[in-house]
Amino acid sequence: MSAISIKKLNKFYDSNHVIRDASIEIESNSFTVLVGPSGCGKSTILRMIAGLEEVDSGTISIDGNVVNSLHPKERGIAMVFQSYALYPHMTVFDNIGFGLRLEGQSKHEIEAGVSEAARILKIEDLLDRKPRQLSGGQRQRVAIGRAITRKPKVFLFDEPLSNLDAALRVQMRVELAKLHDQLTATMLYVTHDQTEAMTMADRIVVLDKGEVSQAGAPLELYNSPKNSFVASFIGSPTMNFLNARAVAVTKGSVTIKLLDDLELKIANGDTAVSVGDELTLGVRPENLSLVQTPKAHCTGKVSVVEQLGSQTFLYLETVDGPLILEADGSTKIKVGDLAPISFDVKRCHLFNKHHQKI
Amino acid sequence: MTGNLKNVNVIGAWLLGFLWLWPLLYAIWAAIHPIEYQVRFDIFAPLTLFNFKNAWAQAPFAQYMLNTLIYVTLTTSSQFVVCALAAFAFARFEFPLKNVLFGLVLIQLLIHPEVVLIENYKTIRFLGLMDTIPAISLPYIASAFGIFVLRQTFKTVPKALDDAALIDGANTLQILRHVYIPLSLPTFVAYGLVSISYHWNNYLWPLIVTNSDDSRVLNVGLAVFSMEEAGVEWATISAATLMVTAPLIIAFLIFQRQFIESFSTTGIK
Repeated sequence: MSAISIKKLNKFYDSNHVIRDASIEIESNSFTVLVGPSGCGKSTILRMIAGLEEVDSGTISIDGNVVNSLHPKERGIAMVFQSYALYPHMTVFDNIGFGLRLEGQSKHEIEAGVSEAARILKIEDLLDRKPRQLSGGQRQRVAIGRAITRKPKVFLFDEPLSNLDAALRVQMRVELAKLHDQLTATMLYVTHDQTEAMTMADRIVVLDKGEVSQAGAPLELYNSPKNSFVASFIGSPTMNFLNARAVAVTKGSVTIKLLDDLELKIANGDTAVSVGDELTLGVRPENLSLVQTPKAHCTGKVSVVEQLGSQTFLYLETVDGPLILEADGSTKIKVGDLAPISFDVKRCHLFNKHHQKI
Repeated sequence: MTGNLKNVNVIGAWLLGFLWLWPLLYAIWAAIHPIEYQVRFDIFAPLTLFNFKNAWAQAPFAQYMLNTLIYVTLTTSSQFVVCALAAFAFARFEFPLKNVLFGLVLIQLLIHPEVVLIENYKTIRFLGLMDTIPAISLPYIASAFGIFVLRQTFKTVPKALDDAALIDGANTLQILRHVYIPLSLPTFVAYGLVSISYHWNNYLWPLIVTNSDDSRVLNVGLAVFSMEEAGVEWATISAATLMVTAPLIIAFLIFQRQFIESFSTTGIK
């Protein structure tokens, strides 16, 4: 059964339609990531699930119960905020135990709950401190601790790592994944960072302008994006896009022509393409390679070389447009060189003028 | 140039300070020496507590002190409750005519209490509260200044804390009680000090609505006492004045820092 089921959700801010008919199913005990650029409505959906924003139409169910009109505390959720939202005047102990105190639990129960959370998050020695005496990473742990003590059915995370520095973010990512295994709870995580989404999620929901663009396992989204938005959003560096035109259509393949008359035959199961259609060719940097000149599909002039050690990204200028190519870490190619390029035609994507994959 | 200017400032400040302190120094002198020294300065004059005893015996100062304490406590604590609730509503809720209502609160800031003296008097009479301590308090409880200052402070509390408290299971009043009020404590202290000193010194309104020793406050009692017969000596009046002002002066010395901060920061954020 789905832990959270969202059906035809809509939200307006004045006349802005910020969430459009969003329907999302979130499996029990899954780690689902809602991802999209800023302003796509991902935080709004999270806040509606939490009960911090009103729902204009549609339903949100948690564990089979519609929660649209329930107070946040009755929904069985806990939330971790981007700004941590710790109470500055309370100690770490009081911050973590505040929810239990409001529930009217005894001193003993509160102590037990807080020390359990502190043990899981390894913050036992911080319990007497005030939030201002903590580092960013420690504050984040306290915020997570506050969520854990409520023993919720669903954890909601609103960009919890974006205020941390890069090294700490990587570390917390691993810890959150471990925590998910440890607690076997449903976690819904909002981020604009596709790397976080790819590394942590069981399932990713990509949002674009308030609509669900595609939902699926990380590699499913990476390998078979439904549209050019998902294709460009997932993956770093981003997918290359080139303008093309269909010149021949057979059963199972489309031959396209790029600007420099280069012809490529792309495997394609769909036949809803006719000769002459304007298309977009999408190809990921790792599906382009440097080859010997006779085998090359085209050449590009190297404008930037980014060496990351294990791999090198080449930014190329070609007649067909700019391309990013992932080469070996040991490549000797320099800025200004002419690079012969080959396309892995089996792993190219074609999109129609409505940005849908064909 | 700036050095000289600074010296002038320092000397000026000392002069003004001394000018303001002079009456208090004289009152202390007159109060602790026998009557014959009230206009004669002699460093070796004998000390005495006779004037305090005399003043204490001539008027029910203990009753006045108790009345004042009840009046000030009642006023300030009621102001805390009413102003905190109103300020919370203005700071965090949307309701029809919110801005108009807040404008009315601000207009109240511009009106001197003495202007509405007669209307207030009529209201108190209508309520049948003449010559009672609540009658002295009532006009001050919905303090525009208090609402304004607390609203400004409440507005600086991050909204994310409301969200966090809601998720933790708090209702609206619990959010006010556990998040907003503790975070605004310095403002409550500062406002409380201003309010206490104002009401301790309040004279005209208590004079008008009270007419018996049962409800009279210190300030009014002192004035009545010093006007009664022309024969009362300065020494006795000085002793009585010191008794009346002592609690406030002691409180000022203890809370000096908050007191000055309250005047320099309130409402500016």
